[in-house]
Amino acid sequence: MNTNEPGHHGESLGKLLQEWRADAPLPPRFQDAVWRRIERAQAPAAPSIWNVFVDWIGMRLPRPALAASYVAILLAIGVTAGWTQARHETARVKGELGQRYIRVLDPYQAPRE
Amino acid sequence: MKKGVFILLIGLALAAAAYGCVYFICTSSARSLEQSSQPELAWLKDEFKLSDSEFKRIAGLHAAYLPQCAEMCRQVEAQNQRLKALLAATNQMTPEIESAVAESARLRGLCQRHMLKHFYEVSRTMPPEQGRRYLAWVQERTFQSSEGMMHVK
Repeated sequence: MNTNEPGHHGESLGKLLQEWRADAPLPPRFQDAVWRRIERAQAPAAPSIWNVFVDWIGMRLPRPALAASYVAILLAIGVTAGWTQARHETARVKGELGQRYIRVLDPYQAPRE
Repeated sequence: MKKGVFILLIGLALAAAAYGCVYFICTSSARSLEQSSQPELAWLKDEFKLSDSEFKRIAGLHAAYLPQCAEMCRQVEAQNQRLKALLAATNQMTPEIESAVAESARLRGLCQRHMLKHFYEVSRTMPPEQGRRYLAWVQERTFQSSEGMMHVK
């Protein structure tokens, strides 16, 4: 009989493993740690920002109260931005015209070639 | 989903439209000033709340002052060129430079007297409170300004 056959090795290894006893103590709370790792592995992945956005557009935005609030807020932002920008532009134009008035009257501030 | 996207786009479109409308309406006064035939005088009328008759008188004073101002500008420019040439020709004080500097100072004084006379006339044409405000405003930008010192190029 050839003792180098794979089946013979398997039997010896099986015997050896059955006889083997681990005497080293487990770390404290070993079981809890294993369960926690299993729970973490099974927990669903956090949804991406895009998924949250798509969900919000598809499911929540069509609700009348939310849709009205959304439109009202955007309108208010548009009005405020337009008013603020217009104020700056008006102040700029009036400032320039005031300077122009002075340049017309004061030879020392008149534009030179 | 389609309804949500529609609401999203409507909101954005309304915000853009609101921005455009408010901006257009609120800048209309500035636009009309810029588009008038004499924007600086239109600005003066708006800034100092002038009535049509006050504005007409001030426009007359302005038109009468401009030829004087143009002549002063010509003299100032010629004097500046003369001084510049003298300064470039030497590295020490010469009688010609002294005389040119004195002439520049005389021209500046003359120019300031003409301007001040015009400012007083214009301010007297305005309602008293606006006249005071006008005088303070123009004096701050002409007599208290260092612009004139920078023109010898």
